[in-house]
Amino acid sequence: MLSKSQARLFFLVGTFLFSAVFLGLTWDTMRQMSKRTNAQNLSAEVKAGKHIWETNNCMGCHTLLGEGAYYAPDLTKIVKQKGKTYLKTFLTDPQAMYPGQRKMIQYNFTEEQKDNVLAFLEWVGNIDTNGWPPEPNIKPPATESTVSSKVSEPPPEKFAQLCTACHKLNGKGGVVGPALDGVGSKYDLAYLDKWIKDPQLVKPGTAMPQMPLTDAEREEIVTFLIKLK
Amino acid sequence: MKFKSQKIAFWFFAVCMLLLVLQVTYGFIMGFARIGMDGLHDIIPFNTARATHTNLLVVWLLTGFMGAAYYIIPEEADRELHMPQLAWVQLISWVIVGVVAVAGFHFNWWEGRKFLEIPRPLDFLVVLNVLLFLYLIGMTIWNAKKHSTTQLVFFFGLLAAALLYLPGMIYFDNLTMDSYFRWWVVHLWVEGVWELIMGAILAFLLIKLTGVDREVVEKWLYVVVGLTFLSGILGTGHHYYWIGTPKYWLMVGGLFSALEPLAFLAMAIWAINMYRKKGKEHPNKLALYWTLGCAIMSFVGAGFLGFAHTWPQVNKWTHGTLITAMHGHMAFWGAYGMLVFAVIIYALPQLTGRKIFDNLSGYIAFWATNIGMVGMTGALAVAGIAQVYLERKLGMDFLAAQKETEVHFIGMMLAASLFTVGVLIFIYNFIRHGKPTDEALLAPGESND
Repeated sequence: MLSKSQARLFFLVGTFLFSAVFLGLTWDTMRQMSKRTNAQNLSAEVKAGKHIWETNNCMGCHTLLGEGAYYAPDLTKIVKQKGKTYLKTFLTDPQAMYPGQRKMIQYNFTEEQKDNVLAFLEWVGNIDTNGWPPEPNIKPPATESTVSSKVSEPPPEKFAQLCTACHKLNGKGGVVGPALDGVGSKYDLAYLDKWIKDPQLVKPGTAMPQMPLTDAEREEIVTFLIKLK
Repeated sequence: MKFKSQKIAFWFFAVCMLLLVLQVTYGFIMGFARIGMDGLHDIIPFNTARATHTNLLVVWLLTGFMGAAYYIIPEEADRELHMPQLAWVQLISWVIVGVVAVAGFHFNWWEGRKFLEIPRPLDFLVVLNVLLFLYLIGMTIWNAKKHSTTQLVFFFGLLAAALLYLPGMIYFDNLTMDSYFRWWVVHLWVEGVWELIMGAILAFLLIKLTGVDREVVEKWLYVVVGLTFLSGILGTGHHYYWIGTPKYWLMVGGLFSALEPLAFLAMAIWAINMYRKKGKEHPNKLALYWTLGCAIMSFVGAGFLGFAHTWPQVNKWTHGTLITAMHGHMAFWGAYGMLVFAVIIYALPQLTGRKIFDNLSGYIAFWATNIGMVGMTGALAVAGIAQVYLERKLGMDFLAAQKETEVHFIGMMLAASLFTVGVLIFIYNFIRHGKPTDEALLAPGESND
């Protein structure tokens, strides 16, 4: 049977051995760090963004690289998913973008601070994460989005920057709101215009935010939507 | 108790109880926010509540470890604590730093890194404080009349925990580097050196409560902590799957973290075997309940539930979801919460001289907290699995998926209410013991072994 001194030897040798292996692997990880994280792109902007990220404890709600608090979305790929224009609009007044839903603190960032945070998040999005987060691998049940709308002209700039953050068109875009394929055959021009102008007026309690659009921009979007037959 | 200076432990334990109540309160704030009742958002937003909740946890557990050290080390070393007045200085400054940190969270003052939220200037005060603590404990051991394995393992656990705090204080511009070394603190604490502390405290309690020969208990202590480091050090790799570190961590972390339950299993088998070999009936049955309960619940919470999502193929989907919170709750409770409760319930009658061992409310506290915690873990597990399938596997929007899991948080809060009732009854028992007194000192030659 094992004696106490043998047990102690097991503890000491095991600890020493595995600490040594751990330090070796750490050394190798450090060696590969710059390449895997694109450290050459760590600009002053990115560094400032990280500072803002930490000094506001964003990880206290969000996750980044899957690390954080699970109360708000993971932001690892957010810049690729939603685009900077939408995210800047979002940061200006987060609660207006998700009316009546879980709240984010309004930080009143300056334009420069917003640029820094987004630069940081964009940099994070390019880290080699061994394929995380994975693409969803179960197909959702078929919904109305099975029709796909073919329009020859490209969508208006604001549509591409803002609307697709939440809506899909031809299979591309967000999953917050319904897909917009065929929307032109469901509603008329006046309704769509009224809807986008003030969603709460048409459907109180809706999750659709009132987007900061000029009249001209809205008109352009509505004209585009009506063609999506 | 054998020495007057052990009395300081009582006050550390009292602080523990207070911080735990606060921790639970902030837990409820988060629970309500998750079911849409976020009326406190403007005063205590979620990130404040969350940081307060987890930091209070760490602080009360550390406070408990410190109290345990001040109680156990003099007894093991067979001498008074070195400079006991300074232990008071240490306690008071420790509390002040904690209060400032938590208050700071409410004014958006952060270091802002998960589990290491307290601002850097305060980190240095923590270091000073812990140095003082280690000095007092270290000097007591240095001048000890007896050098037991238990006290040495305890001391090295505390020392290593202090040293491992340092890599977490370095500032990195690179998030991956930042995260890499942050886990040296967080992982190597809870799945490494804290288990040294845990093993030592369990060894002390088992020796006292079962009367099994010290040599036997301490031999297995080496085996248990040996298994801990064998699996836990390279097991750090399970935090290095997806943060920008090389791919071989998937294999290294997967393999070794899958072995981590072995250490907890060994701990549970060890405790149960020592109990079965017991040479005497210790009157403090409740202490035995908490000691064995700790060994078993830590295996379930930390060992088994950790194992459940540590394999990379599973972790790919569960990483960054409520599954982690599920594992975290029972792991911390089973391994460290119950450990501190065990020490407290063992030490209280010794410190105060009031031998109210066997009373119904003590058992109610034991079962209410544990059943409550199992319920909370179950609710989080269901919410977590739902989240994984809806958000990760089906690609549903984050908030839409969260909406679907709200109902489980109602369940969680019901279970948490039971847990809270248990905690409050435990505290009622704590208060009933009264204050520590010199009258509780053992007469020379008298033994409490």
